[in-house]
Amino acid sequence: MRRVLPLAVGAALLLLLPLGAIEPRAWLTLTVAGLAMGMLIFLVASGLTLIFGLMDVLNFAHGALFSWGAYAGFTVAVAINGRWGWAASPSIWLNAGLLLLAVAAAVAVAFTLGVALERVIVRPVYGQHLFQILITLGATIVLEELIRVAWGPNDQVMPVPATFQGSWDVADVVVLRFPAIAIGLGLLVYGSMQWVLTRTRVGLIVRAGVENREMVQVMGHDIHRYFTAVFAAGSGLAGLGGLMWGMFSQSIRPSMGGEQLIFALIVVIIGGLGSVTGSLVGALLVGLAYNYVAYLVPKAAIGVTMGIMVLVLLVRPTGLYGAGK
Amino acid sequence: MSAGALTPVQAARAAARRERGRAPTLYLRLAVVLAWVLLPAAGPSFQVLDLAVKIALFGALAASYDVVLGYTGIVSFGHAMFFGFGAYAVALAVGRLGAPTYGHLLLGFLAGIAVSAVVAAAVGAFSLRVKALFFAMITLAFAEFALILAVQWGALTGGEDGLSPKLPGVFAAGAPGALGLSGRLVTYYTLLAMCLGLFLLMSRFVHSPLGRTLQAIRDNELRAEALGYRTFVFQLVATSFGSVVATVLGGGYVMWVRYVNPESALGIPIMLDVLLMVIIGGIGTLHGGVVGAAILLTARTLLPNLRGLGGSLFAGSEILQRLSERWLLYFGILFVLVVFFFPRGVLGTLREAAARRRGPAAPGT
Repeated sequence: MRRVLPLAVGAALLLLLPLGAIEPRAWLTLTVAGLAMGMLIFLVASGLTLIFGLMDVLNFAHGALFSWGAYAGFTVAVAINGRWGWAASPSIWLNAGLLLLAVAAAVAVAFTLGVALERVIVRPVYGQHLFQILITLGATIVLEELIRVAWGPNDQVMPVPATFQGSWDVADVVVLRFPAIAIGLGLLVYGSMQWVLTRTRVGLIVRAGVENREMVQVMGHDIHRYFTAVFAAGSGLAGLGGLMWGMFSQSIRPSMGGEQLIFALIVVIIGGLGSVTGSLVGALLVGLAYNYVAYLVPKAAIGVTMGIMVLVLLVRPTGLYGAGK
Repeated sequence: MSAGALTPVQAARAAARRERGRAPTLYLRLAVVLAWVLLPAAGPSFQVLDLAVKIALFGALAASYDVVLGYTGIVSFGHAMFFGFGAYAVALAVGRLGAPTYGHLLLGFLAGIAVSAVVAAAVGAFSLRVKALFFAMITLAFAEFALILAVQWGALTGGEDGLSPKLPGVFAAGAPGALGLSGRLVTYYTLLAMCLGLFLLMSRFVHSPLGRTLQAIRDNELRAEALGYRTFVFQLVATSFGSVVATVLGGGYVMWVRYVNPESALGIPIMLDVLLMVIIGGIGTLHGGVVGAAILLTARTLLPNLRGLGGSLFAGSEILQRLSERWLLYFGILFVLVVFFFPRGVLGTLREAAARRRGPAAPGT
């Protein structure tokens, strides 16, 4: 409770503060957009912080997996839309089916790549931070270039199902549809992550592994298998984030992962390494602040995320929810 | 050995001093410097001269990155940013303050150094307090921010188009200059002297007691801390030193190419290049940077020819053609392979082999 109260007050202040400068309806639209952006960043950052928290691996290839997820989903969506026209159809079921299949493809591809990356590249360099960073950076270059080889270097237009385009009018307020879905999805992911981590046996072992890796091994659990699983799950989240981001911005390009990785890194630093709740709070903070500032002072938008990061580090060098080791 | 009253450190230094005149690599190094000095006399094409200067500049830049990465064990992604600070500071001072003078040139270098020192100290103060790993993430964020700033702030930096300053006096393109050397050649020798000076400075830095402490922190931070060293201060000094050297080199780069834009001075690709140079040349060898720069830049200069070859070979298949165009892909694969199989790079592997041939009893190893 002690941690929830200041957070709630802070959140309320942050949400209401821009009301002084923005008219209420624009504020509501911006807030929805900001929450959606925050949730999308959260999808990427949560995977990153999961991998870092358990495995102590700083995975710079995360951004490339984000791009791969987007491109895999894009390919499936285009193929389905080209054959049966599911995206253009007015039926909400066909639209949802397209979205689900694209999501499944994105997650599956990123998950598979994650398993391969962990087995081949990351496993030999556990415990060596320098080499982890170098080798995942090398993997990033290779993965991003492979996208350029397979799909070409230019931007592609992402097909978005008709039902999820445009906006709903709720009591005279414009609520963009896709951001609303993204918010729901983000909450779902956060809820299930928290549930798995705190309520299941797997989560228990994973959290125990964070605390003391050797002890978990002594207890007879194959920690390497859990490592692969966590790495792949984090990668799958990156792929999901990539697809959702691609639909949100309606276009994808090979370098999109690298750009989002910067945001995700900032969010992880703000939230504290290894904390899922921290990355949710950090992501929402960044998403909201970015949208408010982009509306008021467009040119300062990118600076505000840096500003938040510097401010948080000044007050709490380990991040909002960091373990402080 | 009559080590007698000498402490182990003093004994090691004395051994190193005795070896100094006899090391075969000393003559190799002198020969390399001599080759650089005599190169213009051979009357090479501009492309070769350009390559020589860039190898010297980027070799020194890679070495300055090695001071941070190899000797201090801190991963920074902001090194190219400091290089860019120097480049922009010199370009702005020379290009935007009226007719270019030597004073403006000096002012540019000094301003760049000042800005870099402050930013490096601030970034280090934020991130090094917690974990050296934070440094990698925060410098990456800062570098991205600097890039965006340079693009957005068009009124000052010229935006995407960048700046193309004119140099003063003997450095100017068409100047007849002293001793009958053209402006280009005066710049060539100035930059060569600059790189050599910075190299000696960095060599002194890493072999000083301070540098030895840094290596101790890199190898075992807890132990260094337990011995009473304030590791945070040492790491801060090392990253700031490396950043300032990079800034000076950035200024030198602008003096040679007479042009700066965000992509060529601040971008992530530059950062990746420098990282590759250090890895290929050998982490923690300082001189490996020159080897890495020579390999990478020579390959890049020859690459357009290869690309043409690839285009004609695989005219039939689009995928194969694209594969031959993506040189970065091969650099990425090369990078991963080098990190895996030659983690010590070219120079590190050679040194290891040489040390093994001399036998385990050899002094000074």
